[in-house]
Amino acid sequence: MTALTGRIALVTGGAGGIGRSICGALAARGATVVVADLDGEATAAAAAAIDIEHPGRAHPLVLDVTDPASRTAAIGFGADLGGVDVLVNCAGVLRDARIGRLEPALFRRLLEINLLGPLALTRLVAPGMAARGGGAVVNLASRAWLGTFGSTAYSTAKGGLVGATRSLALELGPAGITVNAVAPGFVETPMTDGLPPDIRGRTLAAIPVGRGGRPDDVAGAVAYLAEAPYVTGQVLVVCGGRSIGDPYAA
Amino acid sequence: MTTSTLRPVHVVGGGELGPLVERALETVDAVAPSACVVAPVPRRAPLADLTDARLADEVAGSLEAVLAAVRGELTHLGSGAQRGSGAHRGSGGRLVFVLPAEPLMAVGGGTAPSAVTNGVLSMARTLSIELARDAVTVNVLAVAAEESSGGTDPTASLTAQLAALLGPGGERITGQEIYLTAGSDLGRLRP
Repeated sequence: MTALTGRIALVTGGAGGIGRSICGALAARGATVVVADLDGEATAAAAAAIDIEHPGRAHPLVLDVTDPASRTAAIGFGADLGGVDVLVNCAGVLRDARIGRLEPALFRRLLEINLLGPLALTRLVAPGMAARGGGAVVNLASRAWLGTFGSTAYSTAKGGLVGATRSLALELGPAGITVNAVAPGFVETPMTDGLPPDIRGRTLAAIPVGRGGRPDDVAGAVAYLAEAPYVTGQVLVVCGGRSIGDPYAA
Repeated sequence: MTTSTLRPVHVVGGGELGPLVERALETVDAVAPSACVVAPVPRRAPLADLTDARLADEVAGSLEAVLAAVRGELTHLGSGAQRGSGAHRGSGGRLVFVLPAEPLMAVGGGTAPSAVTNGVLSMARTLSIELARDAVTVNVLAVAAEESSGGTDPTASLTAQLAALLGPGGERITGQEIYLTAGSDLGRLRP
């Protein structure tokens, strides 16, 4: 038995590299997981893979976090399972540019996916969590919150998410709802596979533990926060120590 | 809006702290092309009241306004970023973001203003890295309101910090976040 046994978790971006690991980690701790993602096939495959290890604990759901109707449907899906106890806002997009080359439309798109979507979903799940005596929201921020070259839109969105996390923790704490953030550094996923080799090499060289992050590194942090009732308003940076060294040392 | 000093300091962004910044700049002599971005920050509201439309208008809209204000100042600041060459080295300038300290630190019912102020904070952190190649400094001043900082008028403190950042010697100060709160934030974790 863990604090997550029998709980319902909704994980957005659940079919992606990090999201899939989060779903697996929560299911391993006894939660029933709604694997929610934009890509129907990938979502079904991710849920099926989790279901093999943890029968009956994974449900696929197509979700577009930028679409209000889709968000409402996701919360309804969770309600049919008994109500969402844990919301993990993991869906995200990394495309970006230096400020001079940043298209306003891309800036807006990154805000919608990385910031507005998580806030809207939190608004939708909070009443149900409060009615059941509490819950947990874990937002996937990023080490880019601390500033990253060529990342104006992404860092703005993730910084906004961190700020909202802190204020939401104050507002929702009395209802027994914790709100925290995990800020991953460089993690080996399909989202980071496209990085130019020179940038990839320099990034890896600046990580004190000597390797890139793995999705499971992040998933463990998320699972911890999902079942830690006395931890709220915090940002857990999972970056192999890159954020305390010189990230541009290499 | 432009305030005349030794060099004109552009005050842009349209946020509520604009008049305070204008007053604080009256006796500041900028030695390089400078701009102060005063972010428009939405008012506090319970999470339940943050409709999709409000999130779009107040959170995304405010952040878009800040982005537009900064982009509009890049040439003035001497940054090559606007020209997009990547190889250009600008002549240097000073960019200061002025934010209200309370939502930056976190406040109950402050989801929207905290999202905006912290979004701007991270934007400033990234810009301090990006614009360093152009010798443009980027800093953040977080100003507590008079009523939340023991009734002390923040104008003189803001003037002092702006003078340091925009005046002689300021070229070596970048990526910093300075809280002008009269100690009202002591003992709290900063973002």
